Amino acid sequence: MQGKTEEIMRQQKAVTYTFASNLGTFTVSLCLLIGTCISVLPAGALAAQGSKRPNFLVIVADDMGYSDLGSYGGEIKTPVLDDLAQQGVRYTDFYVSPTCSVTRSMLLTGTDNHVAGLGNMGEMLAPNQIGQPGYEGVLNDRVATVASLLRNGGYHTYMVGKWHLGLKPEQIPHARGFERDFSLLVGGGDHFNDGWNIEWQIPKGPYTEDGQPVEQLPKDFYSTKNYTDKTIQFIEEGRDDGKPFFAYMAFTAPHGPLQVPDDWLRRYKNQYDEGWDVIRNRRLDRMRELGIVDEGVSTAERLWFLPRASMLAPGVRVLQGRKMELYASMVEYMDDQIGRVFDYLKEIGEYDNTVVVFFSDNGAEGNDLMALFSGQAGTMGFLHAANNFAEAGHNSLGRKGTFAEYGPAWAQVGSAPFRLFKGFVTEGGTRSPLIVSGPGVQGAGGLNTGAILHVKDLTPTLLELADVEHPATYDGRDILPIQGKSWVQMLNGEAQSPRGPEDWLGWELFGNRAIRQGDWKISWHYEPYGIWDWQLFNLDADPGEQYDLSGKFPEKKTQLIALWDEYVETNGVIVGNRSIHERARKGLPDPVPEFDNYPPVRGLEAVPHQKLIELLSQ
Amino acid sequence: MNNLNSLARYLTLILGLIAVLLTCGYANAVDDGARAYWKGRAGTNAVSVQHFNLNMQASDALQFDPAHYIYPSADVDADIVVASLARHMTLFDRPASVLVTLVQGSVDADFNVSLTPPAFLPPGVVPNATFSESSSGFADPAVQLDVNLLGTPPLKAGFDLMNYEPTWTLDVAVMLGIPVGEYDDDKVVNLGLNRYYGRIALPFKYHFGAFSPGYMKSLEIVPSVWLFGENDDYVGQNLKNEPLWQLEAHWTHDFTRHFFGSIDLLYRKGFQSEFDGVDVGDDIEIGDLGFTLNFQVNDNLMLRTSISSNVFGDDDIDNSMVRLQLIYAWHNAMENMKKLGSE
Repeated sequence: MQGKTEEIMRQQKAVTYTFASNLGTFTVSLCLLIGTCISVLPAGALAAQGSKRPNFLVIVADDMGYSDLGSYGGEIKTPVLDDLAQQGVRYTDFYVSPTCSVTRSMLLTGTDNHVAGLGNMGEMLAPNQIGQPGYEGVLNDRVATVASLLRNGGYHTYMVGKWHLGLKPEQIPHARGFERDFSLLVGGGDHFNDGWNIEWQIPKGPYTEDGQPVEQLPKDFYSTKNYTDKTIQFIEEGRDDGKPFFAYMAFTAPHGPLQVPDDWLRRYKNQYDEGWDVIRNRRLDRMRELGIVDEGVSTAERLWFLPRASMLAPGVRVLQGRKMELYASMVEYMDDQIGRVFDYLKEIGEYDNTVVVFFSDNGAEGNDLMALFSGQAGTMGFLHAANNFAEAGHNSLGRKGTFAEYGPAWAQVGSAPFRLFKGFVTEGGTRSPLIVSGPGVQGAGGLNTGAILHVKDLTPTLLELADVEHPATYDGRDILPIQGKSWVQMLNGEAQSPRGPEDWLGWELFGNRAIRQGDWKISWHYEPYGIWDWQLFNLDADPGEQYDLSGKFPEKKTQLIALWDEYVETNGVIVGNRSIHERARKGLPDPVPEFDNYPPVRGLEAVPHQKLIELLSQ
Repeated sequence: MNNLNSLARYLTLILGLIAVLLTCGYANAVDDGARAYWKGRAGTNAVSVQHFNLNMQASDALQFDPAHYIYPSADVDADIVVASLARHMTLFDRPASVLVTLVQGSVDADFNVSLTPPAFLPPGVVPNATFSESSSGFADPAVQLDVNLLGTPPLKAGFDLMNYEPTWTLDVAVMLGIPVGEYDDDKVVNLGLNRYYGRIALPFKYHFGAFSPGYMKSLEIVPSVWLFGENDDYVGQNLKNEPLWQLEAHWTHDFTRHFFGSIDLLYRKGFQSEFDGVDVGDDIEIGDLGFTLNFQVNDNLMLRTSISSNVFGDDDIDNSMVRLQLIYAWHNAMENMKKLGSE
């Protein structure tokens, strides 16, 4: 941190935001224990603090759950990100899309996905969406990326990791504003040097480096490590000219397949054998202690199609726990590698001039990706999976050639306190942890529970911090205006949220749809996840989306449905005439309320885990 | 969720793969066998029946079994059937197993001692003689106790097996042969030994890579020493033998989830014979090299074949062995899970 800002930050003890959620109001308390009263600094002033504008390091985890980080209540060891949270601010109401490429389209353009080309994931386009504007399945030409604008504005622009926004030469990172890149162009695959893609149509994950295809990954390649290496390399090689940088680290961890280097495989050995219920409850307790979840509010119950973990045989719990162990190792490994970048930035004296933003691209992954992509025996997908991902031995999981996923039971732990996970427009699918730190970010260590934020806010925020305008045209073509709202006033303490009570957010993906305005939310999901109709929830009292208030507040519901109509109209939303969720009812039982004590299991819940193991070992 | 079914399948697979151990038969002219000291869940039982044919030609003192003495300058053909029962358990909270072995078979030997110097002939044998002898029936039964010392936790339950990822392990195994097998003191060829004998072994193994079906690899080394009692009626003579030192080694490798192979090495040295206080012949020194292929037919059944032949050691010995083995293993808990799953 430079000059005066550094001085201010030293003098500042804390800026805390507290959200009195039960009353529906918030208070902002600014506590200065020593010295100067801080006047809020506008973005231009922030940029002018030092000799150059701030660097930006945007770090995106892939499929990481809301409650995984230690600073969000998780037991996974994430000391680097926890430390970042102490230096910066955590936000509880930060929204993304239910899936990855869709989120990335908004992250990089500041517009809604339905206009940016990712109205639906390219892999999942419905028949009536194919060929329609906004449904190109790749980032289209109606938008300009923040990377392009920052590069033109004097920034170095770097990207590592997952792109998932287009494969053609004119669609890849190098063509969309990143001067240096090491990118996986597709949505995921083997994390080691095999590089298998999860889709058979492109059996090897295509990587590019500086716009050129990577013919062969290094023998010791592991995604998270190599992305980190490249980030450091790019910054190092570009720093001589003194220009600031925008580095976009799009980790592919902890996206499945759950894989980690061998010496990280057993880092959490047996730590999840107690099962998802115990771990989830512990997380919820910590989230309440941290103020992330308010006391007394409703949290999502265990999904109706999942067993109570305490009813499972110890061996099954070991089997299931192993997958969560791998997941936790992946998250910790990512945290460790992020620490390498921070250490490097400190070493070259740029850390204090770098705005760091960390979040996840969507909710925890509870879907069966393997089943989704491999399909039925006899198909090409199945053949691809059989050839490259079939190994599933308990002790093999996590290694090269394996495809472990942790499934819906652990995903709902990651989603705590919310309902469902990736792919759904419930809070579990769309809310992500968010940490922002760096020069001009006021309120070190604070938790902001009052701001309603969206991933499309990031582009306007970075542009404002960099003093770069969003133009009406780019590269000779008209581009659509930004829809997101800059956080700058919020970051520097001038406002609690970039959104007021009348502002609202909309989502639509796979036919599932939602609108949030203030504490109210309507959502529509296919059965059995929803009711094939709109439901109304009050997120203040019911963040778990357990109680449909449609009958009690019909006018509110009608009002929000009108906003949905506006959302469709504004963004050209075309609800697909087919959806991956349309047949979910066929494969799942009808939802029933879950009660921990029904059916009764004669005190089994009270038996400590270790004792249970001893009993069942006889 | 299919957790329970998949667990049952997985555990039964583990059971089948690991229960092969200790059924490979030690009381033979062959080795213990690859993966003979792998650990199974306590309560696992395994029955093995193996047949091997052994053919040897020798111009000097020779033994076809570590405990047997066969005339020098012999041509021996043996058909042996070994039936074994092994059970895995815990002893002093350590993984352990007990193995009982019964041996039955027939041995035919042709002797031509015309070229054997008289000093190498045991008492009672006429120089330049040529003769044949046979023996058939039960050999001496034996029992072995193996206890793991290091590297393996007690494997009491299914989840213990699932958590089991060995690197290196060290056992101690003690075997005792009981002289109740067929023995005729008028013959120089017998299946029974008419003396106690035993072995102390320190099986050591190191596992490489993932301990997961299809990926298992191991280096196994079993140093041991055979000790022999005194046969006080060997064709009217008193027979003693010095200890026989043995080193057995295997490099095992999974080819698929249900198929592994190994390269086998067996080295033996010692066994100096003494008749009525007089040394006869020399120490023997035999080095056999061979391979094993092991197929898992289903959750319970395995089929194994081994071939070996001596490739170094005494120049005057030439032997070869072909072994075929069936192993059936089960654990009551797994069988019950399968019962439940099939109904």
